[in-house]
Amino acid sequence: MNNRMRDLRGERQWSQADLAERLDVSRQTINAIETGKYDPSLPLAFKIARLFGRPIESIFQYSQE
Amino acid sequence: MSRMTERQYRRRTSLAALAYLLAMLLVWPLARGQHGMLLKGLLALVPAVPMLYLMVQMAARIRASDELEQRVHMQALGMACGVVCAASLIGGLLAAAGALRVQGDILVWVFPLIMSCYGLGRWWLVTRHYGGSTGCEDGSDFPLYQRLLVLAGLIAIILAVCWWRGQIGPLALGMLVGMLLVLLPVAVYRLLRRRRSGVA
Repeated sequence: MNNRMRDLRGERQWSQADLAERLDVSRQTINAIETGKYDPSLPLAFKIARLFGRPIESIFQYSQE
Repeated sequence: MSRMTERQYRRRTSLAALAYLLAMLLVWPLARGQHGMLLKGLLALVPAVPMLYLMVQMAARIRASDELEQRVHMQALGMACGVVCAASLIGGLLAAAGALRVQGDILVWVFPLIMSCYGLGRWWLVTRHYGGSTGCEDGSDFPLYQRLLVLAGLIAIILAVCWWRGQIGPLALGMLVGMLLVLLPVAVYRLLRRRRSGVA
């Protein structure tokens, strides 16, 4: 799954640690999501969408491999 | 439930680990010389107390982790369980056939073996599979190599005191020297890696 988390984080000038603190997850989880190594669960995806004020589909795009 | 940070976990478990080490070296050997079974049993079980506390903290840490951390913990524990189960099956078959002489006190190594395999498995998953790093999480200002050197120093002091008092047996000596042989190279490796990456 592709995502725009890094871009959205950059727009707000947040570090990965800042975003991790806001979402109550580890910085490694943020890094793994941004690099595509890990797809977040639905509750976490909704939490991310709510934090950025965007629809979930505008942040996460399902890619068929 | 809020996450338990790495720093919180280490603070809670480091004293337990030290207590276990001291109990194994200073209290447990006293059990061998006791004739009364009750006192012998109680002295032998003293090191189990800090270890049980450590296990409870591990469970609390896993429970308070975020979703990816929980996945990594579970996968690493699964790997460790697989390795230890395979080793015990192979060892058990050999021992039952008389091809291998095994004493009962080998069971004391089951937990350290599981923890070692869990640590290796977790390191591999975090660094190779999920692209992260096991170094300095959550803004720790006490680098890993320093923590390893402090631990190695404590072990060296305990080793020296026990040897000076003539209280060190072959099992304890082997355990401590083995730990030093692992800790020191890892600490030096981490220090050199930090210097190469330009971190103070």
